[in-house]
Amino acid sequence: MISQLFIVSARGDHLIYKDLRGEESKDVVDIFYQKVRSLPRDQAPVVMHHQGLQFIHIRQDTLYLVATTRCNVSPFTVVQFLVRLVSLIKDHCGTLNEKTLQLNFALVYELLDEMLDYGYIQTTSSDILKNFIQTVPETSKQFNLFELSNIGLFGADTQQSKVAPSIAASRPVFAMRTEEGLKTEIFVDVIERLTVVIGANGSLMRADVQGEVRMKCFLPSSTEIRMGLNEEFSIGKADIRGYAAAVKVDECSFHQSVNLDEFESDRILRVVPPQGELTVMQYSLSDDLPVSLPFRLFPTVDKDTDSNRLMVYLKLRCDLSPKSQALNVTVHLPVPKGTTSLSQELSSPDQRAELDSVTRSVHWTIPRFHGGSQLSALFKLEVPGLSASSLLELGPVCMQFELPMSTCSGLQVRFLRVSSTHPPLPHRWVRYVTHSDSYVIRL
Amino acid sequence: EACPRITMTDSKYFTTTKKGEIFELKAELNSDKKEKKKEAVKKVIASMTVGKDVSALFPDVVNCMQTDNLELKKLVYLYLMNYAKSQPDMAIMAVNTFVKDCEDPNPLIRALAVRTMGCIRVDKITEYLCEPLRKCLKDEDPYVRKTAAVCVAKLHDINAQLVEDQGFLDTLKDLISDSNPMVVANAVAALSEIAESHPNSNLLDLNPQTINKLLTALNECTEWGQIFILDCLANYSPKDDREAQSICERVTPRLSHANSAVVLSAVKVLMKFMEMLSKDLDYYGTLLKKLAPPLVTLLSAEPELQYVALRNINLIVQKRPEILKHEMKVFFVKYNDPIYVKLEKLDIMIRLASQANIAQVLAELKEYATEVDVDFVRKAVRAIGRCAIKVEQSAERCVSTLLDLIQTKVNYVVQEAIVVIKDIFRKYPNKYESVIATLCENLDSLDEPEARAAMIWIVGEYAERIDNADELLESFLEGFHDESTQVQLQLLTAIVKLFLKKPTETQELVQQVLSLATQDSDNPDLRDRGYIYWRLLSTDPVAAKEVVLAEKPLISEETDLIEPTLLDELICHIGTLASVYHKPPSAFVEGSRGVQHKRLPPRSGSNESTESPDVTPSAAAQPTEQQPAVIPSQGDLLGDLLNLDLGPPVNVPPIPSSTVQMGAMDLLGGGLDSLMGDETEGLGGDLSGSPAIGAGYGTPAVMPTSLTAPLGGGLSDLFDLAGGMNMPSGSYVEPKTVWLPAAKAKGLEISGTFSRRMGHIYMDLSLMNKAMQVMTDFAIQFNRNSFGMAPAAPLQVNAPLAPNQTIEVSLPLNTVGPVMKMDPLTNLQVAVKNNIDVFYFSCLYPINMLFVEDGKMDRQIFLATWKDIPNENEVQFQIKDCHLNADAVTNKLQSNNIFTVAKRNVEGQDMLYQSLKLTNGIWVLAELRIQPGNPNYTLSLKCRVSEVSQHVFQAYEVILKN
Repeated sequence: MISQLFIVSARGDHLIYKDLRGEESKDVVDIFYQKVRSLPRDQAPVVMHHQGLQFIHIRQDTLYLVATTRCNVSPFTVVQFLVRLVSLIKDHCGTLNEKTLQLNFALVYELLDEMLDYGYIQTTSSDILKNFIQTVPETSKQFNLFELSNIGLFGADTQQSKVAPSIAASRPVFAMRTEEGLKTEIFVDVIERLTVVIGANGSLMRADVQGEVRMKCFLPSSTEIRMGLNEEFSIGKADIRGYAAAVKVDECSFHQSVNLDEFESDRILRVVPPQGELTVMQYSLSDDLPVSLPFRLFPTVDKDTDSNRLMVYLKLRCDLSPKSQALNVTVHLPVPKGTTSLSQELSSPDQRAELDSVTRSVHWTIPRFHGGSQLSALFKLEVPGLSASSLLELGPVCMQFELPMSTCSGLQVRFLRVSSTHPPLPHRWVRYVTHSDSYVIRL
Repeated sequence: EACPRITMTDSKYFTTTKKGEIFELKAELNSDKKEKKKEAVKKVIASMTVGKDVSALFPDVVNCMQTDNLELKKLVYLYLMNYAKSQPDMAIMAVNTFVKDCEDPNPLIRALAVRTMGCIRVDKITEYLCEPLRKCLKDEDPYVRKTAAVCVAKLHDINAQLVEDQGFLDTLKDLISDSNPMVVANAVAALSEIAESHPNSNLLDLNPQTINKLLTALNECTEWGQIFILDCLANYSPKDDREAQSICERVTPRLSHANSAVVLSAVKVLMKFMEMLSKDLDYYGTLLKKLAPPLVTLLSAEPELQYVALRNINLIVQKRPEILKHEMKVFFVKYNDPIYVKLEKLDIMIRLASQANIAQVLAELKEYATEVDVDFVRKAVRAIGRCAIKVEQSAERCVSTLLDLIQTKVNYVVQEAIVVIKDIFRKYPNKYESVIATLCENLDSLDEPEARAAMIWIVGEYAERIDNADELLESFLEGFHDESTQVQLQLLTAIVKLFLKKPTETQELVQQVLSLATQDSDNPDLRDRGYIYWRLLSTDPVAAKEVVLAEKPLISEETDLIEPTLLDELICHIGTLASVYHKPPSAFVEGSRGVQHKRLPPRSGSNESTESPDVTPSAAAQPTEQQPAVIPSQGDLLGDLLNLDLGPPVNVPPIPSSTVQMGAMDLLGGGLDSLMGDETEGLGGDLSGSPAIGAGYGTPAVMPTSLTAPLGGGLSDLFDLAGGMNMPSGSYVEPKTVWLPAAKAKGLEISGTFSRRMGHIYMDLSLMNKAMQVMTDFAIQFNRNSFGMAPAAPLQVNAPLAPNQTIEVSLPLNTVGPVMKMDPLTNLQVAVKNNIDVFYFSCLYPINMLFVEDGKMDRQIFLATWKDIPNENEVQFQIKDCHLNADAVTNKLQSNNIFTVAKRNVEGQDMLYQSLKLTNGIWVLAELRIQPGNPNYTLSLKCRVSEVSQHVFQAYEVILKN
């Protein structure tokens, strides 16, 4: 049972405060703020306590959304709830930041009143909530339809997203009730996160993909959408792979609004999406990727003990198809402690490399990397007191990148049909991206 | 203090306070225009949010309440909820509108009214709310019913009696069978919460029929409702394994839910009910397989949720390792995991390590050991050592990995490696000693006590194989007094070992260390150990050799395991905060909520009954009042939570001065002599001629048995003294009972009782050492308790407690400590620390300990007070089977500070009017009626704080019957 719920800004301003059970005082907000500002680095911040009062919070950009309780609640429940609250506020107000909260506090309180009663979670479904909400949202800026043509991924705010969220992300879903003639649209994103470990001998030790299909929908509710996946899509480790480049995932879960009647036979998902954002399905596969890994690294290390110099020659090959490319590639190479300087030779001028003495590593950045091409870098490191064991400290190499328009699982959306009876047909957008989660190559 | 910061903003509602702002708002609120009114209320609420006091506008806002505009109404209600409590008189103004709104044709307004009513926590108006609430509970619209269900819980919190009297609880129970799943879910949630404050009320009467209803609702309600229902199911005890299985079958589909909170609640139900299934059952295997994928999926969440998931998985892996035994890979660390996730993963990796996957694990650990983060690297190095100890086949590879790491010369890596290699030597003696030379090369770089101590241990243990062992150890001696205790003790032992192995070359060294330890040190542990060695060496070197160089017991394979009973309790709390802290909820939840201990159901299979305590479900639900409750020890967090500060042993009293004054440098001769002479008269003479160490060696001196513990003897006098205070002073003292059984406290058994002597309260303790090792460094601390009871002095245990030895200690108490109401009232939670660990237990003190000596009330005052205390505070008890006359009763009670103020004889009955006062100034007045020939007395107690009456009655019974 949640006792209080509040939102504070990173500067400590109280934006929303709701006491649900009349047990606590408002001072708690400042106690929380002081606590969170004085956190040591490695403390898991998801739960904190102060004199028997438990704080559970999530951070959303510059805002802290916090729930307090004195019971032995489930932190999962509370965190999930806070995450839903964020997306509901976004659905209603377009974005979530200090300004929208100040403009729409009455709406947020109204939402909270319906979502929580006496600290019991009632509902987080936008379809149910919209029956109760009276307040009309106020947006700070009229959004420009023209900007919609310039689309980024609305859902790509994963850990390291460099993709600027488009205006689609900051558009309220329910605001158009009064505005007529606005475009009906639907966005589908297929987002995958790739985890790879390649052993020192070049063998693949681990490869996992965590994927999700997300949808943001600007359609009248109770519109059915039929989404066709690859016909060869199969679930489960036991299935024998077919001849074609089948798409196989180990596990898969679907949102409760997904109807799977046509899934077994035709790999069609029937979704009646609530307005706003939802994760249609989540899936994962491991070990057995249908495509080759995006990057291969061929390292050579020379040690010159006399001059205390370490020469690291990295040859990096991008094995994507020539039509594709990788963006914002970063290669981190941990180097022995005491490394004093770095000199480098890189194969093209847009690349950069620098030695970061805090993390004791070399960062090599490549803004754009075309499929089928190969880049190389030579790093000369001055390491006073170089010894045989210094080599142990070299590596492993970690890479970060994003691969637009490609998925490692091979999952594709074949079609997206909207059973809308009223023309015009809504615009439909389907986008793909793969992010590196943890891509590690051992030396 | 809440100090609202007002931000610069362009929002029209958030402007800084201006003079007359309230006045302006007042005018706007009373405007005729609806829009203007609404805007004004919004401004008021904006001010409220940032912490401004706008309570002065209460009447004006309430005036806006009667409106058809739902949006405005909602805003007004929002304001009401916030300020009604501070304006109880004005809140009554709102009642009529509430009552009216509860009859509104629009269900949204009915629900809004009933929801807001419950949030107005003003006692005065609750009774007006009963009728509207009753109607809403039976409303035709489910939205109104589900809101009304929650309102019952709200009202119960304000006035529990009212809710019971009005029969709302029964209505709530009926709602469990409601056709709408959301109503069911809220009814379950409300009942669960109410039931927690009445542990034995049987409010949530779970039987196969209700369970069936809940399982049906489970499939239909929202994800949040599913969580309420699953959590409620987890409290049910199926009658047999069949029922358990059928519930499991119906819960399993929840495992694939997208909401991880639903998944975890389902896992909790399954883990609990699995306990009842036989492992031979096919279904048991199926269930195991089904549990793995959802747990793995949890690890793809955000890092914070991953951490929570990992803490839960850590419990599940300890309880049922088979679930995740094939999933080792998912626990491999990703380079971008936050450190807290990495450390938790490492822990799980070790728990899952087995012969089958050890090669893979080791390869990973080796990689981790060269990472940048110091904490993580340390733990990885330690993990390699734990692998070696756990999986024998891997030991060799682990040792060579550790040696590689030592070659890096990274200071903290080397130190961790040496600490774990010591353990590997312990586990596999005479196998890897070839690496000692490499270890010795790194002696100089060790600056952490644990690593130094480990290295010294290794040198001492293998002194015969290390040519320059004496030089190595001598090098540590120079800074002996700057070393930590751990290192000092280890150095003392190592040098004694060395001496026993190479006596000829090391006499001087051993003399030196014994002198440092016994003469120059203030640390009693060190001195004691020094004396023991000293005496051993001087009296019976052969015995010394047997003792010091004895074969060591094997070390255990698993470390850091959670104690089984705690683990079982935590399994019942999967997915909750308890599972994140790895503490029972009672450790961090104040008050009654959630303090009930949950247990796993007894396993149905016969041969596995040892796995969980043999408790029937009904007994499990009883609060453990009779049994002393052992609070399982789990590290420091619990200590933190209980606000305990168990620092180093407090105030070690000086050893009786006679033993300290040993000026003689001839340690083993004269020094010992004087020691013996002082401590045990008449026997010292035998030893006076004791030659100095080298010579003494050849002639095995026979030690008189009575001399074996001279120090102990001296101290036991002290304890006799303490024991002697336990003389019968008239006040009744209960016999000692076992508070902390040895099995729960690593061999320390504590029994005790309370006594009151000469106006002081004492806790009389017997500490018994049932372990194989000596116990030292005792300290004690109390948690906050109802009467502020706290130790008035440190726990004085002046000598180490040898195995099988018992010490009686009397701990003086006072009542000026911090106060917190406990349940039961006389519950006392105690933490005892010794050199091994910190242990927690709780006990009940008889309330008569708190009866003070000046508790006799003046007659007149007695009469006035008796009348003044309201009659509902009077409680009547029967004291049965008592065969004393009035005078004997008076005397007996008087010696326990219950004073007879007056005595009357009415129609042959003796009426005794008595008074007593508790340490915190609470008076209790009593009337005791004794009829000649009737062994049953009637006792009427009157006290302003009626909760104590029950305890006072118990005190009467105990005193009169003993």
